[in-house]
Amino acid sequence: MKKNFLVISGPNLNLLGTRKTSIYGEGSLEDIHRGLQQRAKELNVSVECKQFNSEGAIVDCLQEAPGRFDGVIINAGALAHYSYALRSAIGATLLPCVEVFISNVYAREEEFRHKSVIAPVCVGVISGFGKKSYLLALDALVNLTEV
Amino acid sequence: MRKRIAVIHGPNLNMLGKREVGIYGGKTMEDINATVAAEALKLDVTVEFYQSNTEGELVTFIQQCRGRVDGILLNAGAYTHYSVALRDAISAAQVPTVEAHISNIYKREAFRHISMIAPVCIGQICGFGAFSYIVGLRALIEDRLDPWLV
Repeated sequence: MKKNFLVISGPNLNLLGTRKTSIYGEGSLEDIHRGLQQRAKELNVSVECKQFNSEGAIVDCLQEAPGRFDGVIINAGALAHYSYALRSAIGATLLPCVEVFISNVYAREEEFRHKSVIAPVCVGVISGFGKKSYLLALDALVNLTEV
Repeated sequence: MRKRIAVIHGPNLNMLGKREVGIYGGKTMEDINATVAAEALKLDVTVEFYQSNTEGELVTFIQQCRGRVDGILLNAGAYTHYSVALRDAISAAQVPTVEAHISNIYKREAFRHISMIAPVCIGQICGFGAFSYIVGLRALIEDRLDPWLV
């Protein structure tokens, strides 16, 4: 059966392409989702892409993921740096989860962005490659669930 | 012209497959290099490999990458976490550099949670075993990954 992956983008990622374009680039989240669908087709897997501004909605979504999805890609946005609720929810799914960031969070000025509280419960982290980060995460997740 | 990428392994990576296989997996560095070379062939780029246990040799090699290669894929091993010299060498080389790790460094000892080199690299990939190198190579060169092109 075709593998099915859940892609979650957190708060403010719906604004991609409209704010801080020097950091986040000019394309929109819809462009990323289109890119992911295309890549998924090439890899013969399915992806379902969602965006939430609200922390609780992401927790709900993750809780419903087991049994429906084979893995998760998450760009938690700012929540990555402080949401222990998200960390617990990811851990509870028991699904392989890959954390992605569009920007190189370690190169950014604000020190609070240098630490992710969800990274330790994820399989791995990909940061800094713009929208490519998502596509590379899909490659990694597919590779991971193949072997 | 074909792009040229330097794949650089830091200290103890020559021991891959022979030490702490629970963390680093059973593949040797030679196995990983062979996989990376096969991927490079698919992506139509040239790769060269270098490994050293010595910080100074890595600094010299990275310096010599300037103007000579189009990208660096670097697993600096433990030097990642404390080598300011390596960080300066990457800045000086002015070659786009991707940081790769086999293990998820954020799951491990606190001293491994900080990378000295991350701020001067384009980006970081960690946790996918040997596949981290493949992802890193694609990140450096695969244009079709750009979703703005689809």
